Amino acid sequence: MCDYRALWSDVVLIFPILDGKYPVKNVDEKAYENVYRHLSYVGNIDRLTAIIELETESIARNILAPKFWKHFCLTSGESSSPQHKSLSDSYAIGALKDTNALFSHFVEAIEELYNGFQCLQEMKSRLMQLSKNPLLSAKLKSIQTTLHIAMLAQLPPTFNSIVSDFYCLHFRLFTKDSYQASTTIDSEVFTDLPCVGCNCDVEQCCCVKLSEMVKSSNFKLFELGLIDRLAGSALTALIKLKIKEHITDTCLGIFDRSHLKQLESWINDTVMTWLTSIFTAPKSKKDILPEKIPDSVQAFKVKLTYFMYETFAQNVISQFFSIIIDYPDSTLAIDDLRICMEKIDMRVYLTESLRSSLEARILHPGVNTMDILTGYVAAIKAIRHLDSTGVILEIVTAPIKDYLRKRNDTVRRVVTALTEEGPTDLSEELAKGEFVKEGKEAGLDEFSNWENWEPDPFGIDPNILHINSSKIIRSADIISMVVDIYGSKELFMVEYRNLMADRLLSQLDFNSEKEIRNLELLKIRFGESLLHSCEVMLKDVTDSKRINTHIHGDGNCNESPLFDISALIISAQFWPSFNKESLQLPEEMENEFKKFTSAYESYKGNRTLNWRTVTGRVQIIIEIGERVMEMTVPPTQAVIIYHFQKKNVWTLEELSTLTKVPQSALRRRISFWQNHGLISETEPGVYSLLEKESEKTQFEDMNITDADEEDLESAMASASDQREEELQVFWSYIVGMLTNLDSMPIDRIHQMLKLFASHSGGVEFTQDELKHFLQRKVREHKLLFSGGVYQLAK
Amino acid sequence: MKVTIKSWTGVASWKWIANDENCGICRMSFESTCPECALPGDDCPLVWGVCSHCFHMHCIVKWLNLQPMNKQCPMCRQSWKFNIH
Repeated sequence: MCDYRALWSDVVLIFPILDGKYPVKNVDEKAYENVYRHLSYVGNIDRLTAIIELETESIARNILAPKFWKHFCLTSGESSSPQHKSLSDSYAIGALKDTNALFSHFVEAIEELYNGFQCLQEMKSRLMQLSKNPLLSAKLKSIQTTLHIAMLAQLPPTFNSIVSDFYCLHFRLFTKDSYQASTTIDSEVFTDLPCVGCNCDVEQCCCVKLSEMVKSSNFKLFELGLIDRLAGSALTALIKLKIKEHITDTCLGIFDRSHLKQLESWINDTVMTWLTSIFTAPKSKKDILPEKIPDSVQAFKVKLTYFMYETFAQNVISQFFSIIIDYPDSTLAIDDLRICMEKIDMRVYLTESLRSSLEARILHPGVNTMDILTGYVAAIKAIRHLDSTGVILEIVTAPIKDYLRKRNDTVRRVVTALTEEGPTDLSEELAKGEFVKEGKEAGLDEFSNWENWEPDPFGIDPNILHINSSKIIRSADIISMVVDIYGSKELFMVEYRNLMADRLLSQLDFNSEKEIRNLELLKIRFGESLLHSCEVMLKDVTDSKRINTHIHGDGNCNESPLFDISALIISAQFWPSFNKESLQLPEEMENEFKKFTSAYESYKGNRTLNWRTVTGRVQIIIEIGERVMEMTVPPTQAVIIYHFQKKNVWTLEELSTLTKVPQSALRRRISFWQNHGLISETEPGVYSLLEKESEKTQFEDMNITDADEEDLESAMASASDQREEELQVFWSYIVGMLTNLDSMPIDRIHQMLKLFASHSGGVEFTQDELKHFLQRKVREHKLLFSGGVYQLAK
Repeated sequence: MKVTIKSWTGVASWKWIANDENCGICRMSFESTCPECALPGDDCPLVWGVCSHCFHMHCIVKWLNLQPMNKQCPMCRQSWKFNIH
């Protein structure tokens, strides 16, 4: 029998792991022969194989893995701020291992692990050699797998930070060249800065050394087959971070350039080359041709490109408000975003972020209506460029519309913007006038044009789509979008008519050509019927001029006239209703008007004139003392001062009865003359003329333009008054309802009336308007309101 | 003090001198137009019958054309004759 002890020592010599050691010594062939001979004799080779396998596993599990992970656990306390640490420490030049503690830890750990791995690998190959059984290799688990199992079972949670620190450095080293190329700092200045790669002073730059270390570590990891498991997630996180940083660095706030191309090439050139260099570490860089890029990297690239698009799109979207404001200049940024949106579904994110930024930036009381409108128009243009279907537009601009609807000067602003030059370009848009025809045709041909039908884009809440599913609305042009704020163009046209009436009445010498041009443009867009009254109004003005010249030229009426009269003769049915102010003229004045009226009557048979004395302009000359003033004032003011000719002191009451102007209004009118220093209120309610020149100083300030301030008051009935008149139509319905049903809450009344309204000319009104109306009726004691319901007053 | 009025630009609305507000045929106000017209006044005048009823000219002409036999005033059924002033 052989010596078992000698045999065992031979076995241990070949497989030192059986003794718990693993630095491998070279063994000569004789020992193999010896062991093999003996073992095969005993028939114990299989058992030895099993033992070795067990031992390998236990070494991997109990020694290698814990040791490897210990490197990470040791630093886990410090690694809470790895970035910070590596930065602050890096200035201590000293030994390389001290400059980047985490970095060196990682290198060390890999070194050890690799050694262990190689030893185990050796064990396996020796076992193979010993057993001389080719099938054995298939039976044995690969050492890699064993090691993986052991290592991953003991994965500590903090190792990622170290790994990412390692690769962060690697990335810095890698991009150093391109960074230096891209920085335009003078080379002299550059030497004073720490090296971008290793953060050391340039003279002591250790980049090359570091690169070597990194390369070898990578190679070892690759050999171990651990690179994906160990570094994968850290790498992904790192690269994502780098992409984000890169996008923020290069694209933030720059909208007049396209960034996508440049970003894509950055991903390709920098990131992918770097990744490839990690995953194919053993080969030299020159060997790596594009087609040789491993599959894992290729898959990674797809993911990263996607991520890049997403990050870029998010970046653009977060600045979309500024893009909107810069619109015509930011077209390229929108183009970029559009490309991204084709690849990634960002609609919901876009609409939400845009909605909130719009709300934060323009939809608050601090912004004036014109600016909101400007923003709205810009948003329409920009978003239309992004998405031609108009769905995003519809959703994003809904809050703007809601908000504008709440502002009471919106209509007026829109109309002003339409007719005057302004920041919104609405007037330009109106002048174009092409879009509408296009839109109309598309709308009419919806059925015949079915072949060009396109489904609505996905990713949008179908409920929203449902509300405005009409394609016609969505393909409408900017002016229609603006007018759409109120849901109907009628309201806009009414407001346009009011504004025009005011303009025509206040500037009696108005620029008719411009008005007619605007009117024609609006007619193209909104149709003749809505603007019919405006047309009549303009015609009234031109007709009036003709009638005036005719009457003035006619000899019989102006024998010794007191003053010249020219009239704006209006067709009352087509003008907005006037407010109810009135003014009684002195008799001699009235006679002049009567003369004019009779001249008119004889000129236009069977027709007569109703004068609206409050409105108009009077040119007067006031001679007081040595002063002579010539000015243009509204009729009421003229009549007041005219009365002061006969009597120097008037009480408010006397004047009021004489002119039939209510005292409060009269007081306001008199204050015009008080401002001019002609009249003063000597006692409350008593006014007297100031004939002396002692108030001369006040006269100096007097300016004819002062008269215009008063004129800003509109001669027309206010919009709410007109509205109430419209609602008056429903009063009989309301009375009927309440008689039958006794008492009703407002929402039921509103609902019922809406039913009627649809039959009677389609007067639209909101519940708020109805509430105002009903409350007025309550004040007039026609209704009772209690407990949330309205009742007829008995 | 002496106040001289040099000129006065006033505003007036014109009105037909008629014994009614609305045209008995189209029910529109006289100062408005008949359904076919766009511009009121000279372009859509009123006419009076000898029976003193008046209508938009276009309305009554249309009405009369629809009466094959005896042309009557739609209000009082007297035979229609234009009252030329």
